[in-house]
Amino acid sequence: MSLPPASGTGRYFARAAKSIRLIRHGCTNRPFFHISVTQRKRTNAQPVIEQLGSYDPMPNVNNEKLVALNLERIKYWLGKGAHVSTPVAELFGLAGFFPIHPRSYMTAWRNRRTERENLAKLENEKAKETTA
Amino acid sequence: MSYLFRKLAQTNPKNRIHDAQIFVISCRKLSIVPSLYDGEQDPAPKFFSSNVQVMLKRLTRPDYNKVFRKRTNQGLTILKTPSYKFLTNEELEVELANAKKKAEKLLQMPPVVKIQKHIDDVLSKDPALIGYDTAKYLFTDITFGVANEHRFIIERDPDGILRSCDHDVRKRLNQTYFPMNGRKLREPLMFTDQEKLYSLLDREKYEFVLDRACVQYEPDEPSYQKITSITYQHIDTLSKYELLRSTRHFGPLVFYLTWHQSIDNLILELLQNSAVRDAVLLTALRQDLHGDVVNGESLPSLVHQVLATPIQLTKPECLTEEDIQLDSKCLKCIEKYIKTNSSMKSQQELALQGFRENYKQLIELSRGLQKAHGKA
Repeated sequence: MSLPPASGTGRYFARAAKSIRLIRHGCTNRPFFHISVTQRKRTNAQPVIEQLGSYDPMPNVNNEKLVALNLERIKYWLGKGAHVSTPVAELFGLAGFFPIHPRSYMTAWRNRRTERENLAKLENEKAKETTA
Repeated sequence: MSYLFRKLAQTNPKNRIHDAQIFVISCRKLSIVPSLYDGEQDPAPKFFSSNVQVMLKRLTRPDYNKVFRKRTNQGLTILKTPSYKFLTNEELEVELANAKKKAEKLLQMPPVVKIQKHIDDVLSKDPALIGYDTAKYLFTDITFGVANEHRFIIERDPDGILRSCDHDVRKRLNQTYFPMNGRKLREPLMFTDQEKLYSLLDREKYEFVLDRACVQYEPDEPSYQKITSITYQHIDTLSKYELLRSTRHFGPLVFYLTWHQSIDNLILELLQNSAVRDAVLLTALRQDLHGDVVNGESLPSLVHQVLATPIQLTKPECLTEEDIQLDSKCLKCIEKYIKTNSSMKSQQELALQGFRENYKQLIELSRGLQKAHGKA
């Protein structure tokens, strides 16, 4: 299946609400996302208005996740009043384009907590082994 | 080679080669220490100044047969048949001018610039993001019509710091999103593997190495300057300058040698090929870059005279009186240079002596010819 052009093939209604979201384009067990603007009432499988970037959630060999953003077009669509979905807003926050999304802080905090708990668990086990 | 010997030593216990011997074999190669443009002084303003550019182009001695030679037929499914035309003199001049323009484009020299500095630009620190992810996030602005060097490429590290990426990451991402034809994402083995690079150099594939380095690297990258430096020094030690003449790499080669004060071998080669005028240009270039040539004040006028004459691709067969005057001036200048500045005095003086004897014969011949024609 050939990909649609970045300018999109979806029908465009000027007054209808738009949304910038992640559209999954990978295959089974290999997610890959396009950051696209589409009519808010459309599903992710339907044609989009325009592609604004891409996001690869799987780290590459150098342990990096690559995000591409067409900032000029993103600014244009934001100016048109497009709604931004949470995962995209999180990415924009990490890029320093938006303020950092509260959910990013939440994830970070939860990850730190689980790590702390795991460490405590390990230490407990070690202590038990030494006493036994 | 050394690898093969070691293999032999390992596989065949009877064939005992001592460790010391293996060491000697592996060190047989020329060990060249690359010198980069990383000093205090920036070579770019000197390199791009118009008089240096003119001199470098003149020293390249462009031979159009070599400039327009067919290099590969890659990309051409069918070889074009040459077309022959009858032209009037004016039309021929126009065609020649076009060819000259094309040659200038083909001979455009790769720039010589200072080595790049690390980008260390922290945009924001957010310790509350520690633990968000174990991987880095790299953000590339893919806005249409932005040049590679001005593109925003930033990273969010796992410790919550937002910073601009360094040159190597920038290059990788630029190549990922905006691929350049011929450039590889991973460095080719011929540049990373010392043995492979030297084997290419030993086979005198200098132009191939330099062309590929031009495509693969940016001119201010340390690896580019390292590879070109090794290549130039290899050429210099073997005096294989002829291989790079009439290519775009000759200018940077001459600039490199002059910048690092090692032009004596090149001057020797020029004298041996009786190109005294080019030798004068080279000393003038040294005067321009370092200002340490004795009586350097008289050089610019002489250079001006030399640049006014047409390029001599082969040894002249007949001389006019003006030629003789100019050459004798050049000879005097070079003599002084050899006496005071050169570090290869005896060899260069010998070459000069040989040139002088040849030149005397040539003068006698041309004067005799003029007499025979009844012109003198």
